Amino acid sequence: MKKIMTLLFTLLTVLLSGCGQKTEETFPQENISIVIPYGAGGGFDTTVRVFAHFFEKHLGGGISVLPENIPGTGGRRGTSTVYRAKPDGYTLGIFNLPGLVLPSITGEKVDYDLRKLSWLGRVESQDYVLLVQSASAINTLDDLKAQEKITFVSIGYGTTVLAAIQIMAEQMGLMSKNPTFLTGYAGTTDQLVALVRGDGNVTMSPISTATQYIQSGSLRPLAVTGNNRSSHLPEVATFAELGYPDLAPLNVQRSIAGPPDMAPALLAQLRDAFSKTMADPEFIAAATGAAMDVAPLNGEDAAKAINDNFTYYEKFKANLNNPNQ
Amino acid sequence: MFDSMITAVLYLIGDGYNIFYLMIGVMVGIMFSIVPGLGGAAAIALLLPLTFGMEPEQAIILMGGVMGAVSAGGAVTSILLNTPGTAPNAATCFDGYPMAQQGKAGLAIGAAAGASTIGGVFGLAVLVAILPVAKAIVLWFGPPAFFMMAVLGLTALTAAGGDMLRGLIAGCAGLFLGFIGYDDIGGSERYTFGIDYLWDGMSLVPALIGLFAISEMLTLYVTNESAAKAKDGIDENITGIWDGVVESFKEWKLVMYSSAIGTVMGAIPGVGGTVGSFMAYTFAATTCKNNENFGKGDIRGVIAPEASNNAKDGGSLIPTLAFGMPGGAEMAIFLGVLILHGLNPGPMLLIEREWTIFTLIIAILIATVLSNVIVLMSTRYIIKVAKINITVLVPSIMVIAFVAAFTIRNSVGDTFVTAIFGILGYLMRKFDYPRITVVIALVLAELMEKNYTQSMLMFGGDGMGFFRDKTTLIIFLICMAALSLRFFQIIRARKRVSV
Repeated sequence: MKKIMTLLFTLLTVLLSGCGQKTEETFPQENISIVIPYGAGGGFDTTVRVFAHFFEKHLGGGISVLPENIPGTGGRRGTSTVYRAKPDGYTLGIFNLPGLVLPSITGEKVDYDLRKLSWLGRVESQDYVLLVQSASAINTLDDLKAQEKITFVSIGYGTTVLAAIQIMAEQMGLMSKNPTFLTGYAGTTDQLVALVRGDGNVTMSPISTATQYIQSGSLRPLAVTGNNRSSHLPEVATFAELGYPDLAPLNVQRSIAGPPDMAPALLAQLRDAFSKTMADPEFIAAATGAAMDVAPLNGEDAAKAINDNFTYYEKFKANLNNPNQ
Repeated sequence: MFDSMITAVLYLIGDGYNIFYLMIGVMVGIMFSIVPGLGGAAAIALLLPLTFGMEPEQAIILMGGVMGAVSAGGAVTSILLNTPGTAPNAATCFDGYPMAQQGKAGLAIGAAAGASTIGGVFGLAVLVAILPVAKAIVLWFGPPAFFMMAVLGLTALTAAGGDMLRGLIAGCAGLFLGFIGYDDIGGSERYTFGIDYLWDGMSLVPALIGLFAISEMLTLYVTNESAAKAKDGIDENITGIWDGVVESFKEWKLVMYSSAIGTVMGAIPGVGGTVGSFMAYTFAATTCKNNENFGKGDIRGVIAPEASNNAKDGGSLIPTLAFGMPGGAEMAIFLGVLILHGLNPGPMLLIEREWTIFTLIIAILIATVLSNVIVLMSTRYIIKVAKINITVLVPSIMVIAFVAAFTIRNSVGDTFVTAIFGILGYLMRKFDYPRITVVIALVLAELMEKNYTQSMLMFGGDGMGFFRDKTTLIIFLICMAALSLRFFQIIRARKRVSV
């Protein structure tokens, strides 16, 4: 027994002496964590788990890149954690756009400014699709505009989906019909099932979530956002084609960043590893397998996309109040 | 459907690891069911981090092992020590402990094991029968029906409870706690006092760990007795186990009724096993012939709650898998396991990964049978767990409980919740308030409020809309029936007293 204790003690000493001896020569020296501001199992979680594996390979240094879930307060807790971390490259995070932009637009108190983060790049971007039940008499956008009773089903207030619906309703002039916003569903899947069930008659959802309901013949797509048609739904026209170009920028983006004021050399090294990861065919294969919508942007362009996001949503600020307050 | 079943069986037996995980699940389940205060929810929560590296089906097999096994051992401590191993075993104490005092412990344990095995199989059979139509069922349940389900959950709780006033107080406290946090329909923060942690509301699992595990340990510490009281003097004199098993088969009608009650109660989100086993007991005690011995050591008083207790697993998997809506605390954590492994519970899971669900069902089935056999064979050793010296037991369980509370979300706030609820649970126990009612009301609060608001939005503010939805109307009528049954019982009890 004494021998075992001695052995354990020696092991512990060896392990402890390994810590604290960080040399400043090359980055990275220790494991890097990528903060996911949402719970395990969601879309952001999957993205990071796939990304981290390949990012680790391209960063080199024999360290691990570890996903770390810090859920809470609609993603704000994890975001603040990254924002306040030391900009040493060992704490990174994945961020939801425009989800994390919206609170600052609608005037809620947040203790971070996304525009100041050190952006590595964008991994994913998903456009939205406007949906009705397949049994519905609404076949075109004009049919929708002619509807007397419109009930949108949506996730709760403060989410990107509700914001997208509100902006769409405003642009298409549906607000004059005094539509009902049936909010509060727990997620996009819940919301789509609610539409199939007929709780309401219209919704919008990120395309990849909706694809299976469209293919199974439960829901009918009317239009998609984005500048080009979606590869998932090539036969569906874009809002821009149908005369609503202002709806094209509506999307959900997943981008990776570190805390503000990162040293330029460090940021350049991280951005380089990011770009290599995005170009890695194995990463693309894995991402496709995980049903991700990879749409890479490099660091500078990702940072610009954030600013565009602020400008775009700022423009629709007046439409983004809680419809059920 | 049958090909999925065969795929699942082949998957399970085709890999040594799968069988190994199943065994681990069964062993952990049995251990947790024996230590008072630690039930299935705590076991699943503790095992959750271990599944990170596993395939989804392996994690499911492990959890299935726990679920099937976790009610097996609890009956043993209820009968021998008058201390329910898990909350749903509480009703087993009423007649189990008197039987043990009369020297019929073996008979009671055998009957409990037999009844819970049949009950478990019954529940799973119902689940398998309903799975093919589960998708259609999803479409019957809109916000109004969900609201009414929550009302039914609260009604059943009150109707089944012992002291109605204390139950109502506990229920209201639970509802109040459930309203804390951000309301994403109204967009307002409630009772958060500017604390970020409270924005997401009271988290269920830390609260549960506090209410059940911590409070139990505090009680043991304060009373300074091991879970097995010294005066019990039970040791190796356990005989007649197999006669008990035979007895449970002879009472097959009662087992069927009780299993049906357990399955239905399990299927109502947020109600779960404890209410089910109390209802089954009450039902048996009021409807059986020659019922004067209930509470004094009637074997049927053991059979009814135990059958119901295991039948609830199949039942509570229905809403969990079909709606992504947990049937109880255990299921709430199991839901987390599914999501963690990228399986989104809901109609698509049933369609796309049918075999995964059958893997779960088969794992639970094997675990149910196996755990009861293990319990029967090892009863005399098992009860020693409950006799561990409290100076060892209390600190160990406390540490495990707090670590578990912390690891679920890596949140320090969660450990505070566990501590606060631990003290609350201790006080509730001391002053005889039902802790389970608080938990269930806490779960139902959000469900009830959100679906009420959504329904009113759908009806354009017309409350009569609830009665135009067929499903809602049916559930409403069941609520009325449950209430009038309780009313009827009270009147009958009064009459009996006056005569």
